[in-house]
Parts: sequence; C-alpha cells; structure tokens
Amino acid sequence: MNAIRLSDLVSILRSKNAGPFLTTIDIFCENDKHYETIKKSGIINQSEISKLFKIPEKDVLGIYFYDSVKGIKITMVKPGHVASGDIACTDTLGMQQYIPLKHLMIPVDR
Amino acid sequence: MDEIRMLQSSAMGYGNVSRELIKEGLKYDPHIIVGQGTSTDPGPGYLGSDDIFGYVGKSNKKRDIGLILEAAVEKSIPFIFSGGSPSGSNAQLEGVLRIVNEICTEKGYKLKVAVIRGELEKNYVKSKIKQGVRIQRLVDSDRLSEVLSVDDINQAKRIVSQMGPEPIMKALEMGVDGVITGRALDIGLHMAFPLLNGFNKGLVAHMAKTIECGALCADPPINENIFAILKQDYFLVFPPNPEKKCTIRSVASHAFYERPDISKEINPGGYLDISQAKFEQVDRRTVRVSNGKWVPMPYTVKIEGVKIAGYRTVTVAGIRDDNLIKQIDWFIDDIRKRTVDKFGGISHFDLFFHVYGKDAVLGISEPKDLMTSDELCIVVDVIAPDPEISNAICAYVRGRMFFNDYPGRTSTAGNIATLFSPADIQMGESYVWNIWHSLPLEDPCEPFKIKILNFPNSKISQWE
Repeated sequence: MNAIRLSDLVSILRSKNAGPFLTTIDIFCENDKHYETIKKSGIINQSEISKLFKIPEKDVLGIYFYDSVKGIKITMVKPGHVASGDIACTDTLGMQQYIPLKHLMIPVDR
Repeated sequence: MDEIRMLQSSAMGYGNVSRELIKEGLKYDPHIIVGQGTSTDPGPGYLGSDDIFGYVGKSNKKRDIGLILEAAVEKSIPFIFSGGSPSGSNAQLEGVLRIVNEICTEKGYKLKVAVIRGELEKNYVKSKIKQGVRIQRLVDSDRLSEVLSVDDINQAKRIVSQMGPEPIMKALEMGVDGVITGRALDIGLHMAFPLLNGFNKGLVAHMAKTIECGALCADPPINENIFAILKQDYFLVFPPNPEKKCTIRSVASHAFYERPDISKEINPGGYLDISQAKFEQVDRRTVRVSNGKWVPMPYTVKIEGVKIAGYRTVTVAGIRDDNLIKQIDWFIDDIRKRTVDKFGGISHFDLFFHVYGKDAVLGISEPKDLMTSDELCIVVDVIAPDPEISNAICAYVRGRMFFNDYPGRTSTAGNIATLFSPADIQMGESYVWNIWHSLPLEDPCEPFKIKILNFPNSKISQWE
C-alpha cells in the first residue's frame, strides 16, 4: 500500500469561517480518479480529522462528499473554541486553517 | 414580468467594482443592480468600532458605490445594496449615506432612496424577552448564553440583525430609486425584487445564493460581477466579463462557500434545499439552474452583538539568534511569569505571545512538532480593562524581551529587533461576539425601520 499527499490529489484546498464559531474546509479535485481515491480511502472521517486538528471528535460537525462536483466539505468548531476575532484568535477569517490537511497521507492501491 | 435580469456588482468596498465590467453587464439590459456590503467575516471589531468607514476606508467605498449609482442612473433602473464597514451598524450605515450624499452632490444625481436600518434598539430586544420570546443561541459557545438575557443585551455595545428580503420588498413598493440597508442577509438583497414580482421562492433563493458573491461562482472564482436571468422555472448565470465563464462545477460548488452544510442552509422563514438541483451548461459561459426547493420554517432572524473585552496594546519583535530561538518557549514563559508577578495584583489582563515561525497561525492544530525556523516574529498582545494598564504591561514585556537573560546569552545590549518606532501600538477597544442568536419574529419587518431620504440631503444624521 502506497500513500500520496492530499495536496497532490486536489486542485482546491481552502478554509474559511462559516460564521464566527465554525471553520469550513473545502476540497475539490479536477480528476475523477483522484476524488475516488480520497473518498474510497475512507481516511477523511470524524476520528481522523479530530486527530489531525487536535480537537474533540464531537467538534467535527460534518463531513460531506459531493460527488457531482468532486468536492468534499469538512465543518468543525474552531480549534480551542476561539471564535473569529476573539482575543486569542490568530486567523480572523479562517483562511489558513486547511493546512493540517495538506500533508495528510492518502493510501493508494498500486 | 416574464423574466428578471439582475446585475450583481461583486463584493463592494475594496475598490473592486469595475467600470468596464459594469458596462459589459449593462449590455444585457438589467432590470436591477444589486450589491452586498455587510459581513461579520472580519470579526467583532467592526461592530464595536465607532469608525464609520472601517474595514475598507472611505475612498474605496465611495468608488464602488459611485459606479453602482452611475449605472443605476444611466439605465434608470433601481439599485439595492447593503452598507456598513462592514458590520452594518447605524453608524457605519450613516457613513455609507454620507458617501451617497457626496456622490449625488458631485454628480448632480437626484435620488429617492429607502434606507433600512439593521441595528436593533436594545429596548426592542429586551421587550421581546419580557414578552417571553426565547432568543436561542445559534452555536454552542462559551461566549454565548444559551438563551439571550437582559444582561447580554446590556453588555453589548451594539446589536444588529440580518434582515431578510421582506423589509426590502416593502421598501421597493414605496416608489423609490433604490434601497440601501444596514446589516442584511446577502441572499435577501438578491431575493427581494424577484419575490416582489412573484417568482418561485426556491428558485429565487437558489439564484440569490449563486450570485450573492459575484463571480465567485465563475471558473476560476474571481471577485468580479455576475449576471443572472431568472425565468419562471430556471435561471441562467454567466459573468459579464467575456473572458470568464460559469461552468456546472463552478456554479454547483459555490454552494460550498462559507457555509457549514452543502445542501441545506437555514435562512429567515425557511431553508433552501439544493440536494435535487439541476445544473446544465447551455453555452460556453452560461449555466442553467433549476429545481432548488424552499422549505418553510418558522420565521427567525439572526441577531449579532459584541461586547468589549478590554483595551489592546501590541508590539512586534523579530528574533534571529538561533540560541534564543531554540529556547523561545522557556524565554516566553519566564517573561510571562515575571509579568504576572508584577501586574497580577494590579489588574486582570490577557497576555499573548503570537510566535510567527513556530505556531502562531494554527495554534493547537499546528502539525509540525519541531520548529525549524531561522527567524521568528513575535507579536506581543496585551488586553486589559484599562488602556493605561495595557500600555504599561506591553512596555514592560518589551523591556523584558530586550534584556531578559537566558542560558548562553551574548546579546547583553538587547535581544530583539523592534519593528516600529514608536514601538507599541495602542489599538483601543477590543471586542468579542456575545450575541449570535436567533430572534423569532411574527412580522419579518417589525424591527427594521424604513426611512425615505431624498439625495442630495443635508440632514442624513438627523434620522429620528
């Protein structure tokens, strides 16, 4: 079983606030095969995302696969429960919060 | 009306609205031009702030509003936009109206405008609580009371509400040249005119959701304008810029943008379900969309409020010495302890060391265990109930960073590269969200005051 970095399989990997208390991460693939590889790997799940972002599992609120646009959405409570613009916040718009996913290794069959 | 042709101006305020692209859009003969200018994305600071031009500054804003008014006047079509910088508070709405007034005076436009405030009077919200209305929080957070209390309202600096399309529909019926709102639901701005003309709500909401951010629904997504043609059972969407295109994928995937869920979004009076929506490519640049469904629910509006957290003073320091970099955690802890010893008995305060080059951006989610940076930037960030104390703590911390000892130190003339002179930045009040709740309404227009203003107008601020 080989593995490949998520960032090598996707064309868009982005994050943004979905309101001040939630971060939402969008992943889009150009390529059907890449999308299927990620989806079928099963690695984008609540437990893995919780480990990756070091947040409680219950704070991973939703993971959605949208096949027709080869898109995946992950929505979570902001890490540390620090709301956008709150005094401890360092990413007001949540634009850099996709980074932990970038180097996630996706298992691929060869 | 058989169809509605709507030009969406792109997000307003950054000076991004393009005269050329508006001209391209006007070629398709729009019935109306719509823009959005309020947001909570830049955080609570702007709703707290008394700066009426806020996030983007006056001249950028004036440029964008000027282009929208110019298009509306040239084509004799109505305009709708929300205004605030960007919170949509009354103060910031007044800033927008001052700009409109300047433009009308300079260009000789005579405009009758319905202005709708989005800020709620505290007494109004309190009266709802007294009537027994349960105003529940929208998200589980320590900052938010589960059910809004009178204390929350008293602590809030300001409260605004995202008005739905209904007050705008009411305003459009007043025989005006345009509508300017304070805080408003983005899709509501785009829904009002089509709903007034009897179009299907699910379709209208889906069109609004698609075009509300301009050409962010184009491929590639870009901050430019967009055009929609709404028919009885579908709508068409394409960018006026002939070099750009909408694709099935770009339009369908815009449903992802800034939303927690893809297929369901709760709005005042219902939610839009696009799980069965149909997207078809009709030509190289145009997508046809149908089958969005509106599912009615009890009517609620979101209300947003901020309270002061304290006064903030910051300073910026660079560190390049590898010996200090490898001991940075110890160095910061030591300074923090000394600061608490010195000021802990005087005042409550929050002290943050944002260490760029280590983990400032991602905090607890930072995946790298080992820092490998040759250079660090530390933003010292102090928040205290009194601005003088905040200044004093920041200066003390900076002084400690200059001369605090650490093992192997050679830099006895000072440890940090200070970025600015003056070194410390007094940022004034710092705010946090304390209201993010759902207010049930029987009449969607009840809290939103509409006033007709004729521009040019010398009495903008004399609202009451």
